[in-house]
Amino acid sequence: MLVEFDLIQKAQKGDAAAFNQIVSAYRRRIMGTISHVIGRPEDVEDVAQEVFIRLYFSLGQLRTAEVFEPWLYRLTVNASYDYLRKSRRRVESRMADLSEQQVIMADAVAGSRAQHDDTEKRRVRDTVQELLSTVSKEDRILLTLKEVEGLSLKELEKIYNVNENALKVRLFRARQRVLKKMKEVTGPSPFVAKDDEAS
Amino acid sequence: MEQGNSNPASNSDEARLDQLFRAYRAASPDPEASANFMPNMWTRIAARENSTNWFGRVAKTLVTAALAASVILGMMMSSMNQSSAFFNATFVDALRADHASSLEPLHLDRISQLEPE
Repeated sequence: MLVEFDLIQKAQKGDAAAFNQIVSAYRRRIMGTISHVIGRPEDVEDVAQEVFIRLYFSLGQLRTAEVFEPWLYRLTVNASYDYLRKSRRRVESRMADLSEQQVIMADAVAGSRAQHDDTEKRRVRDTVQELLSTVSKEDRILLTLKEVEGLSLKELEKIYNVNENALKVRLFRARQRVLKKMKEVTGPSPFVAKDDEAS
Repeated sequence: MEQGNSNPASNSDEARLDQLFRAYRAASPDPEASANFMPNMWTRIAARENSTNWFGRVAKTLVTAALAASVILGMMMSSMNQSSAFFNATFVDALRADHASSLEPLHLDRISQLEPE
């Protein structure tokens, strides 16, 4: 845990400074997770604030230190899910404009290495977002937490409050759908070499 | 999430997907919060507290009004019932009043004839 339980107890009693410390400790990690899940950097801060607002209003119900982080992750998952549900149309319209944007981006590249790297990163981000859009919002979040955030099945079990086998089945099915889409999008040419450049 | 797939093509796809996820992780660094993160968050918390309080006040007022209306209606019903003979009578009284004319007179001699000798 990034904070002591004493600090959480102080925040539970209404200590704003203690709550600020909790937010400061977890903000970066939560914003990173949200960024990977929603794929819209401009909205990450807004969703992160929503997570901490929900934490503020539900902190009084917390009884033990062990459940704090899974709980915070659950709030993050729920806030991200709400965001994805609300912004579905916006994302769909953005995906429709993707090819045009890519063309503009490609034209704008003047050959500098930095710009090339940015273009590559953007290509990877857009590709993964497109792949993840083939599964439901719930599975998209689950898959991101497992594959991108690197959370273990034990951690996911605590966050989702379901047994490991159910999670495995769900992850497997979601992954199969993403794999199928990947083959359609990328074709026979391997992605591996290009991704190594991007990273 | 490898499920023990022995197909080399599938394993290759699995590896490609894993690599793509890793590249995605590297291409999406954790964003930094702006300087306004905390002030904006507290503004939103205050706004939500105010709206919660407003709803709380409205709910409290409605509950109080409903309770008062229940008490008044109860008192009205009670005073109406006290003045009505129908509500004060017992069930037998009410039945007798309703069917007095249709009841046959009681004949004790007939009852004695029915008893076994």
